[in-house]
Amino acid sequence: MRKLMNAELMEHDIKLRQMGADVYVINSKMCFVVFLVGSTEIAYVYNVNKKGRYFLERIKPYPLALREFEREEDVIEIIEIDLEQFKNASNSHNIETFIEINQNFNLSLRKFEDLFLYFNVPKETAEAIKSKLGEIDQIIETAKTSSDRIYFKKNPDNL
Amino acid sequence: MQFHLILAIGVFFITYLLIMSEKLNRTAVAMVGAFLMVMLNIEGQERALHYIDFNTIGLLIGMMIIVNVMKKSGIFQYVAIKAAKIAKGDPWKIILYFCVITALASALLDNVTTVLLIVPVTLVITDTLELNPIPFLVPEILIANIGGTATLIGDPPNIMIGSATGLGFMDFLIALGPVVVIIFIVTMVIFKYGYRMHYVATDANKRKILKLDEKKAIKDPILMKKSILILLCTVLGFVLHQYLGYESATIALFFASILLLISKCDVEDIFIEIEWATIFFFISLFILVGALEEVGVMEYLASKLLEVTEGNMMFTMIVILWVSAIASSVLDNIPFVATMIPLIKNFGAMSGLDVTPLWWALALGACLGGNGTLVGASANVIVSGLIARHGQKLSFGYYLKIGFPLMLVSIVISTVYLVVFII
Repeated sequence: MRKLMNAELMEHDIKLRQMGADVYVINSKMCFVVFLVGSTEIAYVYNVNKKGRYFLERIKPYPLALREFEREEDVIEIIEIDLEQFKNASNSHNIETFIEINQNFNLSLRKFEDLFLYFNVPKETAEAIKSKLGEIDQIIETAKTSSDRIYFKKNPDNL
Repeated sequence: MQFHLILAIGVFFITYLLIMSEKLNRTAVAMVGAFLMVMLNIEGQERALHYIDFNTIGLLIGMMIIVNVMKKSGIFQYVAIKAAKIAKGDPWKIILYFCVITALASALLDNVTTVLLIVPVTLVITDTLELNPIPFLVPEILIANIGGTATLIGDPPNIMIGSATGLGFMDFLIALGPVVVIIFIVTMVIFKYGYRMHYVATDANKRKILKLDEKKAIKDPILMKKSILILLCTVLGFVLHQYLGYESATIALFFASILLLISKCDVEDIFIEIEWATIFFFISLFILVGALEEVGVMEYLASKLLEVTEGNMMFTMIVILWVSAIASSVLDNIPFVATMIPLIKNFGAMSGLDVTPLWWALALGACLGGNGTLVGASANVIVSGLIARHGQKLSFGYYLKIGFPLMLVSIVISTVYLVVFII
C-alpha cells in the first residue's frame, strides 16, 4: 500500500511541477479524532511531522479553518477548549439551529466563491451581498451585548 | 529423525499453501513457519542463522537505499519526460522509449521499483495524450520482468541464485543478456503490430507533450549528480566484484552508505522506505528451506530428480526452465527459487555434473514466468493496483490474453537459446 501511495504521489508531483509548483513531501502522521457530544459528532484532523509543526482542522459538525501550531500541547489545548465549548453549547436549546446556521454559512461561502470565480458579477450585486453581510455582522454584535456570557476560560478569538 | 522429517515437511507445506492462498500476509506466514521450525527444534538457532543468505539481504537493502535516495532527485521523471519529447509525442515511439528505459532500469534495479518509477510518468503522459494507459502499462510490466532477467541484481531470483552459487554480475550479463535482448525485440515487435491501434494520438495532444518541461522534474540537481555518480560506481563495482573479491552485497552496501553520507537526505526517511516486509520474507524463507535441508528432504528430492532425468543435462535443463516458468506464472517465484536452489545444488553434488546451465534455466524460467498472469510477479500486481487507483481496471483475463502467450514465446526463445548456446 505504501508503494502505491508513493507512486500516486509521484504522479501528482510531476503534474504539479509542470504547473510551476515547488512540491515538498514531508513524512508525517495524520490523526483523525472523533468525540460524541450527545448526538453530535465532533471531529478533528491534525497532522504531526518531524519538524514539530502541527496542522489542525475541525471537520465536523462544521469545518473550522486550518491552523498551524508550534507545539503538540497547543493542539490538545485547542481541541480541549473547542470540545468544552461544544459540550456547553449542546445544553442550549439553540444547538441544532446554531449548527445549521454554521453549515449554511459555509455553504454560502462556497457558493459565493463559485459566483466570484465562474461569473462576471455586476458591482451592484457585490455591494448588495456586502451590505447583507454587514447586517448579519451587526446582528451578531448586538446579540453579543444583549446575551449572557457562558464561557470564561478563554476570550473569543474573533468577537 | 523420522518425526522431525514429517514435522518439517508439514510446517513447510502448510506455510507454502498459506503463502500461495494470499489470504494472509505472506511475510507474517513465512515468519511463523520459519520460527516454528526453530521452536520445534527441527533447526537449531545457530543453524537457522547459518541458512540466512546475508549476501542476498545486503544486496536488496543496499539497492533499496540507493534507489530511495536517487528518486528524491527527480532523475527518473526527467529522463522519461525527455524521452517523450524526443518521441515528439508519438505514442508508439513513447512506449518504445519507455520500454527501453524500463528494461535498462529493471536490469539495475528490482522490477517493482522500476515500475513504481516509470508508471507515474506514463500515467501523466497518457493523460496528456488522452489515451487509455493500459496498452502502455502492460508492455512496461512485461519488459520490467524481461529486463530484470538479464543481470544479477535485476530480479530477486537472480540475486538468490548468484549468492548461492558465486555466479557474478558479468556471468549473468554474458549468459542471459543476449537472450533478454532477443526477447525484448520480439516482444516489442509483437506490440508494434498487434496493438498499434492503441497508439494513436491527435496532433493537438502531441503538441502538449512538447510543451512539458523536463527541467521542472528535477527536484535537486546536486543530488541528481551525486546519485548518478554513485549508481555508476555501483554498477562498475558489480562488474568488477568477482575480480576484486567482494560480494555483490558489499558493493551495494558500501556505495549506499556513501550516498547516504553525501546526499544530506534524512537517513531515517530513507530507511522508512526500505521494504522491510520483503526483507523479512526472504529471511524467513531461507530459514524454512534450511530446515528442509537439515532433515535431508532436499537430498532426497535431488536423488529423485537424478533418477527421473538419468543425469541428462539437456532434459533436466528444459524441465527446470518450463516447470519454473509455469510455476512462476501463478506462484510467487521467490519461495519457488529458494526451494529449487538447494535442490539443484544437491543434484550437482550427487551427479558430479556442472550444473551452471541449470542455474540459467532456473533464472530464465522464474523471472520470465512471472509475465504469464497478473499475479505472476509483484510488478504485475503493483501496476494493476496503480491502474485501479487511477480509476481504471486491468482485469486478470485481459492481462492473461496478452501476458501468457508472450510468456510462452519468451520461454520458447529461451529453450532454443539454452539448447543452442549454453549446453
